Amino acid sequence: MQVDFAAKELTVKLVYYGPALSGKTTNLRALHWLTTPETCGELMTLETQNDRTLFFDMLPVTVDSKTGLKVRLKLFTVPGQVMHDATRRLVLQAADGVAFVADSQKSEAEANRESFANLKENLREIGIDPEEIPIIIQFNKRDLDEIRSDEELAELAARSKATIYKAIATRGYGVVPTLLGLIRETWNHLERQHGLEDKFGIGAVSLMTEIESKLKHDPRLRER
Amino acid sequence: MTPEYPAEGDLILGDVVRLEHVLDRDAVGKVCRSFFALFGLPVRVIAHDGELLADVHQDRPLCRYLNSFGSGERACDNTVGDVRNVAPARDSVVHPCFSGAAYHVTPIEYQGRAVGRFVIGPYVPAEADEAPASLLAVDPSLDARTALSHFEAMPRVARDVAAKLAAHLRGTLEILVFSGHRTQLASTMQVANVRENYRELAEKNERLRASFEELQELDKLKSSFLATVSHELRTPLTSIIGYTEMLESGAAGTLSDGQSEFLGTIRHKADQLLGLIGRLLDLGRLEADTMKLHKEAVDARGLLSDVGSTIVPAANRRNIVLDIDIHDDTPKLFGDPVRLRQIVLNLAENAVKFTPEGGNIALLAAPGTIDTGVGGGLGEALFSSSRTAVVLTVRDSGRGIPEEQVSRIFNAFYQIDGGTTREHGGAGLGLSIAKQLVDAHDGRIEVTSVVGEGTVFVITLPAAEDHG
Repeated sequence: MQVDFAAKELTVKLVYYGPALSGKTTNLRALHWLTTPETCGELMTLETQNDRTLFFDMLPVTVDSKTGLKVRLKLFTVPGQVMHDATRRLVLQAADGVAFVADSQKSEAEANRESFANLKENLREIGIDPEEIPIIIQFNKRDLDEIRSDEELAELAARSKATIYKAIATRGYGVVPTLLGLIRETWNHLERQHGLEDKFGIGAVSLMTEIESKLKHDPRLRER
Repeated sequence: MTPEYPAEGDLILGDVVRLEHVLDRDAVGKVCRSFFALFGLPVRVIAHDGELLADVHQDRPLCRYLNSFGSGERACDNTVGDVRNVAPARDSVVHPCFSGAAYHVTPIEYQGRAVGRFVIGPYVPAEADEAPASLLAVDPSLDARTALSHFEAMPRVARDVAAKLAAHLRGTLEILVFSGHRTQLASTMQVANVRENYRELAEKNERLRASFEELQELDKLKSSFLATVSHELRTPLTSIIGYTEMLESGAAGTLSDGQSEFLGTIRHKADQLLGLIGRLLDLGRLEADTMKLHKEAVDARGLLSDVGSTIVPAANRRNIVLDIDIHDDTPKLFGDPVRLRQIVLNLAENAVKFTPEGGNIALLAAPGTIDTGVGGGLGEALFSSSRTAVVLTVRDSGRGIPEEQVSRIFNAFYQIDGGTTREHGGAGLGLSIAKQLVDAHDGRIEVTSVVGEGTVFVITLPAAEDHG
């Protein structure tokens, strides 16, 4: 989190992590598409060998607060391929929350596990405690065959501390709930750490309401 | 270890910190000149902090005329100063000039922040009917007719056209900012990546170096252990052999045939053990580089004959034909005679050991040359010199050495037949010692082998001639 008092802005950095081809980029593209044009900046793509890093800003969300502070969300993806570990660490720096996009296919279980271990290791490397930072998990590609069943996921959710979301990012399903969940958990964490409501007068409820109003839950409602 | 990360805040959050970091001045200048050429309207691009990034304009006759008066010049400076300080938040602002002209100031936004602005003008709004009173009032000595005719000659732009032109230019500049930002981020990320990879490699190298040093230390320990143990084993063994010989010679009374036979076996085995310990000691000394060589001129014929007569009994027992051939021009060798014999005898004994019944072995000597200072470096190859040498060859028709094992046969304790049920005895030290002894003589040892056909060892050693 970064506070720019001159610009009266509070910036929160959110990173989409996960194995190669799990749908991180698709999530971000869908979100960019589902966000009103005046609410988000251009989608920036940085090409790396055989992979890419994507990011865009969700522009200052104005919340009724006595300080007039606005909240800016920055959404990043990391390149998933193993060889781009250094880039992943760079992108992870100063992250406030992480959405881990897992591939629901049974054949990808090992890739998910490796990538999640890599996330934890990289967080530790850059001085972030993986047990502290909010991490939510999205099981993507729910429309494919040979996937882990809903029952399995429910059981996983019950056992793990992380919240699990389900999505079909290619069709835009589940990407908004994932983002909202990530923002909610991240904000609650920042609130506990910094007392944002007391300090800046920004309440979680008003922030979430404002952000939800900028997003369309049903992809069919918007064309852009 | 906490890694050092780049201080590029703009990389961590992907923000544009300063417009001039991402906007290429040449590109902006070109866009503005093209805009001026198309519409005849002056353009200035100003960064958020007030720095002028591009300025394309041509003084209008009206401006030149007004600037020729002291008060006109002051009023003009004030207006231009004011215009440069106008920083609109989201939408364009039209700033009027006392002359009746106007300036169109438009913000350049990126990621929802104003990062700079541009000014189009001066131009006269097409909607203005006539020059304002402030034009003529600027200086009492102003000639109204001249001023008004210059005013008429000013470019005229309708308000909505000005807005469209500004919107177009704004879009173009914002695209330039976007692509400039992307290039900046990509290159910053590349550099940060290279630095990060370098850090990783440096750490790995450090770990490798540490483990290499540890291994070297262990290797030294092993050599000194070998030397100590061999030495300690030899002392009691020498006594055993000595007393056995005394018993055999009848010093303690007459022996029965059976006793003599047993003592003979004891002495034979003890000699074998002493030989092995001697080799271990040699290896220890060679590895610790403490072996002293007493070099002198050695006759190749004598050397090979001596070795030949030593192995003849063993060869004869298995009907192996031994052939010794010494080329007439073979010079004398320069080396330690005891060690040279050890080298050749070692190879010859191996040849006998691995050659089947009825096979053949050859010990050959011939003149040759050897390069000194042969290394991989360019200089070394260029400045190496050739010396007269003796080439000794030990050839057998034995079982041969599999290709993948050839590179390892000179390793200490290595045996091709490494299983627990080894057909041939030995500790795997002979070849390693031979190789190290050849090295200590500045010589070279090479092996070629074909499985089922035989093995050829070629040793090239410096000749004595060069040593006078």
